[in-house]
Amino acid sequence: MKAVTNAERLVTQVLTGEVWPALADRHGYRIGPDGQPFVLPGMGGVTLGVHCGDPATGYAADHLEPGASVRHADPAANMAVQFLTCVGNQVTVASGPARGLVGHVIGQHAYVLVDFAEAAAARLTTGDAVTIIAVGQGLRLADHPSIVVKNCSPGLLELMPGGTTADGRLEVHVAARIPAEAVGAGVGMISEYANTDLMGAYESLGADLSLGLESLRVGDIVAMTDQDHRYGRGYRPGYLTIGVICTGQCMLFGHGPGPSTLLSGRADAFRLVDDPAANLSSWYHNQGRAEQ
Amino acid sequence: MNAQLNAVAVNLLGTVEHPELGDSPYRVDADGAPYVPVGDGGVILGLELGDSVFALEGDHAAPGACLTHGDAAARHALVLYSCIGNEAEVRTGAASGARGAVIGKRGENGRVIVGFRASDLARMRPGDQVSVRTRGQGFRPAWLPAGVTVLNLDPDLLAALPVSSVGATVGVSVRMLLPSKKAGNGLGRPAAGWDLDLQLGPGDGQDLRLGDLVAITDIDSRYNMGYRRDWVSIGLTVHGSSPLPGHGPGITPILTGPRALIAPREDVHTHAGLTTALLKLQ
Repeated sequence: MKAVTNAERLVTQVLTGEVWPALADRHGYRIGPDGQPFVLPGMGGVTLGVHCGDPATGYAADHLEPGASVRHADPAANMAVQFLTCVGNQVTVASGPARGLVGHVIGQHAYVLVDFAEAAAARLTTGDAVTIIAVGQGLRLADHPSIVVKNCSPGLLELMPGGTTADGRLEVHVAARIPAEAVGAGVGMISEYANTDLMGAYESLGADLSLGLESLRVGDIVAMTDQDHRYGRGYRPGYLTIGVICTGQCMLFGHGPGPSTLLSGRADAFRLVDDPAANLSSWYHNQGRAEQ
Repeated sequence: MNAQLNAVAVNLLGTVEHPELGDSPYRVDADGAPYVPVGDGGVILGLELGDSVFALEGDHAAPGACLTHGDAAARHALVLYSCIGNEAEVRTGAASGARGAVIGKRGENGRVIVGFRASDLARMRPGDQVSVRTRGQGFRPAWLPAGVTVLNLDPDLLAALPVSSVGATVGVSVRMLLPSKKAGNGLGRPAAGWDLDLQLGPGDGQDLRLGDLVAITDIDSRYNMGYRRDWVSIGLTVHGSSPLPGHGPGITPILTGPRALIAPREDVHTHAGLTTALLKLQ
């Protein structure tokens, strides 16, 4: 059965932001695993042609951010946007030719990442204003006290298959399982900001770098082994963290496709079901499907 | 870089840091308990090389004074160029003229950790200016196997550390050998400027002392630090533990290469790494 939550008691807040530009410095190059200098797109702006359900790797990109990358211009308001926005929240374009079109939050990466259908994304650009209907922080699972919910809208939790099992565990469907060795940049950061880069998914960059994660897709629900993300992100044997892949290919070493944190707690409080359909594209802005 | 080039020394000025906190005094530990962080930068008294990283109830406490610079770019340069073993001299304040030595450095915005005699450190205060004779980046001893990289080390210090040429490989005595999954904050960041936190707590049953060398397997720290199978990185322990998840005692990387070329030897009880005696700070 679906897990019992406190969803009806959550506060919904209207936030604003704008599509934020890609950022670079005058030296241009960053450095790959073997010292390769590179200049590659990925972060900021509106990244086209990659959506939930598409492969996360295999692009000439660094920190690929599918769809629109959103911040607020005021630093403190921006932190509110980054902390309070949850995966699955609805985002409406508030200016420009795409005004009125709707997308959904797929994760955080020091930007709020918003995926739109390709036709909508193609009409968006840097500076366009968006309205975010933020709801989800504070979500709790009444019957799973050892599991902490992070960055997950109640709507997403409702759409995800699984729930409370007969033996009292939380069943979660996952598209991939991630070994602790894969966790890279982002470890040690708070769970409500940015995401956890996964190493070992550097498509085509060398067998000694691979941890077999090259088949991850944007939007995949994944299970991270021995990770405790309840109050920050760290290694802890016997814990498990569920995340959603919201960024893709990296060239920068120690980085990679990244999950934003959704659920974290003792491993024995979960029951995992391997399910290739455990992807945001099963529930949101599926290409070719009318926006809900 | 395999050519034998002479390392260049550059004098750079740093300022002894004052700790900074936000509007809330609290950080949150791995179990969700709030705590007030003490020792995260600035001048730390009563902590020195050889002490356990778990000796104090601190957060990233480092043995000595942390240096920064008011200009962000100059601060990064100070941190990137400073190397373990570099000489430092206090230029202002009550301890003016006192000599110290770089013990390590920390990432994010960047800090250089400088050790002093306890009697000198006791006379120092945030805002004092310290000049560092930075030297070491680009240094490469002639005997080092081609596939091994040395970084963040004063050229004169390497011979004093338990690092030696063993046939075609580099032998290193370390306090402990850790798997890459214990690497924490610092992954994905440049090894020339950041330390790598080890996800070790006081309850893990392994003691580690400031100045100890540590080997961490499957980590390549030539550029950014990250996972590479069958590699190893050697780091020097530069600050104490932290209650923050994903953080812990930190190492400044000094050697990295394939496991076939670097042979760490775990000397749990007899290891001796960087000491106050080596730095002439007794």
